[in-house]
Amino acid sequence: MATSILGLAHALPPAQPLGGVRRPIATEPGGPSDLALAPARTALAQSGIGVEDVDFVIFATMTPDVTFPGAACFFHDKLGCGTIGALDIRGQCAGFLMALMVADGFLTAGVYRRILLAAAEVHSSGLDYSERGIRVAALYGDGAAAAVLGRADGDAGLEAVICHTDGRCHDRFWCEYPSSRQHPIRITVEDFRAGKHFPTMDFEFVERFGLEHLPAVVREVLARAGTTADSVDCFILSHILPEVVDGAAKALAIPQAKLLAAGARDGHLTAAALPVALSEAITTGRLGPGARVCLATCGAGFTWGAAVLTL
Amino acid sequence: MRRSCITGLGRYVPPKVITNADLTQVMDTTSEWIEQRTGILERRFSEDRVGAADMGALAASEALERAGVRAADLDCIIFATLSPDVDMPASACLLQSRLGIGGMPAFDVRNQCSGFLYGLSIADLFIRTGRFERILLVGAEVHSTGIDISTRGREVAVIFGDAAGAVVLQPAPDGARGILSTHLHAEGRYAEKLWLECPAARERPRLTEDMIAGEEGRIFPKMQGRYVFKHAVTRFTEVVQEALAANGCCAGDLALLIPHQANLRISQMVALGLELPEEKVFNNIQRYGNTTAASIPLALYEALEAGRLREGDLLCLAAFGAGFTWASALIRW
Repeated sequence: MATSILGLAHALPPAQPLGGVRRPIATEPGGPSDLALAPARTALAQSGIGVEDVDFVIFATMTPDVTFPGAACFFHDKLGCGTIGALDIRGQCAGFLMALMVADGFLTAGVYRRILLAAAEVHSSGLDYSERGIRVAALYGDGAAAAVLGRADGDAGLEAVICHTDGRCHDRFWCEYPSSRQHPIRITVEDFRAGKHFPTMDFEFVERFGLEHLPAVVREVLARAGTTADSVDCFILSHILPEVVDGAAKALAIPQAKLLAAGARDGHLTAAALPVALSEAITTGRLGPGARVCLATCGAGFTWGAAVLTL
Repeated sequence: MRRSCITGLGRYVPPKVITNADLTQVMDTTSEWIEQRTGILERRFSEDRVGAADMGALAASEALERAGVRAADLDCIIFATLSPDVDMPASACLLQSRLGIGGMPAFDVRNQCSGFLYGLSIADLFIRTGRFERILLVGAEVHSTGIDISTRGREVAVIFGDAAGAVVLQPAPDGARGILSTHLHAEGRYAEKLWLECPAARERPRLTEDMIAGEEGRIFPKMQGRYVFKHAVTRFTEVVQEALAANGCCAGDLALLIPHQANLRISQMVALGLELPEEKVFNNIQRYGNTTAASIPLALYEALEAGRLREGDLLCLAAFGAGFTWASALIRW
């Protein structure tokens, strides 16, 4: 018995032209809980269960619908989840893998039988598309994925999931405001006019950190799963900078046919990046039952992680 | 399956005390009104440039010392807060930075007043399933920079205070002790009954000058107090009974109930509903106000210091708050 994906779906809003690229941008009103609704319903249908069969909801996002409560509560309400628990995880790029690790704990211990895990981001409403911020803003897209997780017999399932965090360099890629440590108030009109509520990134540092840790965590998770790169059918790698995915794939000697660069077309979807890429690969028929997949990501926090699973 | 148990506790409260009388200087209210409605006499406010992770790190250091665990030997960090130091990344990352450590997974749980118990449940499962051995769970809040300290915001502003609490969780030395069960709930249909709307990713754009400085005060929390009160009394009582029933226990078996410190009047109603005598329910909201994710570890710390809990005692922790979310944990101490 292993923790398995019983259903998985994704949604991307229509792509819009943006500084020489095209990105999925959620122009309709709504937050990540809205974007995740259709994928959740599809994932439930795929797994042959109704919302009443779900025991717990986990939502991974860094762009919640409102400041509090978390996106999980809004998602819980819109789906009609009764009074089951709703957990919000904040782990930036590793948010999905951290949520997967948490779900695996609840399912392995038998506390819950079915968990609905959503990962979604509406970045566009919080980005600076002016000349000042376009370099960072153009990297991001909006998107959502939802998975139904449960225990299943057979060869399918999660073999290993590993997450890491190193907060000592958190200010190399961050969004400082609103900030609870700023007295007397978390953000002022002056802070706002100065654009302190927009993310900033030290490109060189983020690239260097990614090139070091993304390949390392892939090697670590393969060792943890007791397997080798040869026996993996597809590597889904995610990083806000496409050159880091390319560099990591090269360092790991992953053949082009086995590489899926999450976000290459749509930009970075943070917590949603890995499950959206996996869902899309399944939808397009690139991956099917029995395929062994390695997911890996590295990003803000800094957080990084990887998982090996068989579909 | 092995159990987890709390092996060290720590807390930090900022030195600056704000009495009810202090609040009457900046808003139209009276000390008596605040005390009568909430039981609160005073609360703490943090100093400038001190965030949730800064206070959390001080509480964590004490908890680690008491547990005899080195920060670098932790294999997971969970941080429960609704008042993060910065917008991104999570406060758990800033806590690592303060403690000078890195490598182990660290993430935030954003579950408001139930955040500490949601985090406790996750930590418990990680230990029970053998994933981790030494987990740090922190609950910390700096509310003072996020509330509207004026007559307009008084209904919410008089309630909240700043504090941090931390626990270290490890496998229990024997099967009888430790966390017996946790129960987690939510009812998202009431999300807007106690909430802080902006910044809001669902708005276009997420933040505007009007949200910050406009008459509606959309960057400040709002609460429908009577509504929250009514639901809190019902759900607190239910979730304690759920914990007891799941373990074949009854309220009479409890040595101590520590409810999240939301409002003294709620705690009193819950005690009445469960037919628990006053000495079996611990409250310290009188001195700290509602400190959200920090309130349970802070109260547990003080209950232990006051000799209200002994080895082998049956302890129930319970929470209810924004979301709505609610939760309980039953522990053989």
